[in-house]
Amino acid sequence: MTDQTTSITIPIHLTINGRDHSLNVEPRVTLLDALRDRLDLTGTKKGCDHGQCGACTVHVDGERVLACLTLAAQVEGREITTIEGLAGADGTLDAVQAAFLEQDAFQCGYCTPGQIMSAVACIREGHAGSDDEIREYMAGNLCRCGAYPNIVAAVRQAALEVAS
Amino acid sequence: MTVHNIRHANTRHADSRHGDASDGAVGGRLSRVDGPAKITGAAKYAFEQQLDGLAHAVMVEATIAAGTVRAIDTRAAETAPGVLLVLTPDTIMEIKGASDWLGNPPTQKTYSPLARTVTYSGQHIAAVVAETFEQAVAAAALVEVSYDETPAIVDLSDAKAGDGIPIDVMTKEWGDAEAAFAAAPVRICAAYNTQREYQAAMEPHGLIARWQGEELTIWEPSQWLDGMARTYAEWFGVPFENVRLVSPYIGGGFGSKALALAHSAVAAASAKMLGRPVKLVLTRPQNFTSYGGRAATRQTVTIGAGRDGKIQSIVHRGVNETAVDGMWVEPLASVTSIMYATPNFSSKQNVVRVNTVVPGAKRAPGENPSAFGIECAIDELAYEVGVDPLEIRLRNYAEQDPEAKKAWSTRQLREAFAAGAERFGWSKRSPKPRSMRDGHQLIGWGVAAGTYPVRRAYGEAIVRILADGSVEVESSSIDMGQGTYTILAQTAAETVGVPADDVVVKLGDSRFPRAGVAGGSRLAGVMTGAVYKAATSALDQFVGLAISDPRSPFHALQANTLVVANGRITAPRGDGPDVSIAELLASVGRDRIEATGDTMPANSSAEDRYKNYTTIATSVPHTEGDYSRHSWCAHFIEVRVDEDFGTVRVSRVVSALDSGRLYNPKLAESQWKGGIIMGIGQALLEEGIVDRRHGRIVNNNLADYLVPTNADIPDIEVISVGIPDLHSSVLGGKGVGELAIVGVAPAIANAVFHATGKRVRDLPITLEKLI
Ligand code: FES
Ligand code: FES
Repeated sequence: MTDQTTSITIPIHLTINGRDHSLNVEPRVTLLDALRDRLDLTGTKKGCDHGQCGACTVHVDGERVLACLTLAAQVEGREITTIEGLAGADGTLDAVQAAFLEQDAFQCGYCTPGQIMSAVACIREGHAGSDDEIREYMAGNLCRCGAYPNIVAAVRQAALEVAS
Repeated sequence: MTVHNIRHANTRHADSRHGDASDGAVGGRLSRVDGPAKITGAAKYAFEQQLDGLAHAVMVEATIAAGTVRAIDTRAAETAPGVLLVLTPDTIMEIKGASDWLGNPPTQKTYSPLARTVTYSGQHIAAVVAETFEQAVAAAALVEVSYDETPAIVDLSDAKAGDGIPIDVMTKEWGDAEAAFAAAPVRICAAYNTQREYQAAMEPHGLIARWQGEELTIWEPSQWLDGMARTYAEWFGVPFENVRLVSPYIGGGFGSKALALAHSAVAAASAKMLGRPVKLVLTRPQNFTSYGGRAATRQTVTIGAGRDGKIQSIVHRGVNETAVDGMWVEPLASVTSIMYATPNFSSKQNVVRVNTVVPGAKRAPGENPSAFGIECAIDELAYEVGVDPLEIRLRNYAEQDPEAKKAWSTRQLREAFAAGAERFGWSKRSPKPRSMRDGHQLIGWGVAAGTYPVRRAYGEAIVRILADGSVEVESSSIDMGQGTYTILAQTAAETVGVPADDVVVKLGDSRFPRAGVAGGSRLAGVMTGAVYKAATSALDQFVGLAISDPRSPFHALQANTLVVANGRITAPRGDGPDVSIAELLASVGRDRIEATGDTMPANSSAEDRYKNYTTIATSVPHTEGDYSRHSWCAHFIEVRVDEDFGTVRVSRVVSALDSGRLYNPKLAESQWKGGIIMGIGQALLEEGIVDRRHGRIVNNNLADYLVPTNADIPDIEVISVGIPDLHSSVLGGKGVGELAIVGVAPAIANAVFHATGKRVRDLPITLEKLI
């Protein structure tokens, strides 16, 4: 019992969206809570905290990862990209972001950062070849507002743009 | 600031490729103005504010369904690292009773958000506040609770549940339904069940509470800022004006985020006790028990008809579950009594108390389960008399409201049936069950109708024309994804005469002009009306100045009126100056023009206003005056059922909907699709499963409570068949958000019958019910 509640902090260094951050946190702090509660990077959302919804999807070394199932300490020295780091430095939207806006691929917007991070990876993985493939490879990101058909349309559009 | 104030700076690129100027007018397909903030992660939702000195609270919930808390041992939790406060029923500060959402005064002098007497599993009994979230979570696990447990009634099917309490106000009768049924040549009777369903918004419930002296600020996702602010004010005995609720974006509500709840009181109390801001976010499992989802329902629908399928009588009996210590009535006859013409009708409803959290509003409460009963029953009648399921609906078409005996304001349901059938290819349907297949997939085509009443209330807004020529709108209404930011920008843009890009809409702060609840699909109609009024009066002032102020370049023209369009002001015949709004304001030495508009009846007192915005007591009946006002829809759905495994997939949906005039079709279509998708979940997946020994919801998480995923959803086509309905709202719209879910589950059940010949009357339609 007692070691569960002792608060020992460790220094960690994270590279997020190309910037270095140093923080002292307990080893049990997840990447998700580090982003949201310690670094004011609240674009990454918490929907379940148990790897069930995809709202917390970020990229670690370019691959999609659930930040709620990743300890902050695990990703030291790796390249982390969050939704805040997706657009260009001049504010130019990523093709996926622009397609989400144009296709109205969200309503409340809470699942959206996770959807977009998943979609960018889905296209990069080569899994956006058909609507059915997109549906399958985007199935880990729940959207209770039910934006799915528009998400498929946005991913399809962005995949074509990325390919061209 | 916490309000939404991001202009379209970095979206022009995306929009300019496909947009066009008319998109910004009312009825245009403008992309969401809050979209850029949401797709870049810049949108800060309510409890994402970062405050100095923020402490973190975690709730501890009961693990029994009925009984009393004998003792709570908090010693280990209190000494755990970082812990600031452990709250139990004995240690939490006194909180006063608050009036309910109708404005009825409290029945108890004090309110205890932490329970001593447990009436459902998951009820809050203690809370831990610590320096960090991780410390609070760990310490909460150290709180030891002992109980004296008593037997629980776990759900409607519990042998102890009984028949429940009759709710007499729900009784609806005309003609002699029993006699007409007995005399009818064709008689059908069946029972239809829906299960506990959950809103499961992706953003969990939670809040940050901060006290500064006697002033309380609450950052909390809210469908009703003014109503919730009233509750906090009453709980803590401070004036209403001392409470500020901030809710700039809401990560989905679906009916669940309109009330301040027990955990809200705990957060605000602990912030006061500690003198520090406190953040409390419910875990996903706690989101299944801290507020109610849709009550489980049971209905029997009895139809007596002629051999031609013309209905002569409907007898309807309904039951919904409610809590041991709270009342929820899910109005189960709301569609039954109006969808079809019938000379004889009878409906009665009971509620049954079980050990659950009080059920609550989930998308189209009442209409949704009601339609499942009547829209399946009429399908059964169609097969009984050998008439096409679409034809039988037209044969029994209600030319006026059968219950209120009033004309419909507008009812484009015939048009919806026609447009949907055409697009779906209904005429190619082979009538016999099990007669369409593709390999070992049985194919079924089903149809069902839906409806939702037009709920009306009042709202206020401020519209400002600013020195730089831009327009600002403020209202304490909210946007949880319906598109409020966008349609209010369009309304102000069109009314004042500026591009939508030049309008900034600020919502979600209770310090702004007031608004009632965003529920029952009423917000768009109410708020476009208020913004239209405010914008009209701002424009009148502006034009008045331009005509009459001696410093105005138009002064010499002696015109009666001037035209404002695209941000510029000109004389109607184009024979005078042509200046921008900013230039005109500068010439007359004004830095702004401001007007408040509201849709309240003239001469409303301050008290009327307070009551209107903080309770739902003043909403206007949909059958007020000469008309009955509703939105309507028809769903055509194809399912594929695997003959061996019984798995059901929805493979095609075409829905035609009448929501009156659409303020922004792009966003309305999205909401419709969202409702249809939630309906697919209800039909095939969603069901709160109760552990019969402990009365617990065992699938209280997003892996086990199945909501539709992207892979479950086919292409969905939605068709608008609405026409402007000026009896329903100032600009002619009817409700959008709740409508589309109504009728989806019966359309799927009907399609499954057509595919398999098996009538499943118990949702969800899972494979074991088909094999
Ligand atoms: S919050 Fe990480 S998957 Fe839901
Ligand atoms: S946009 Fe609301 S959950 Fe996806």
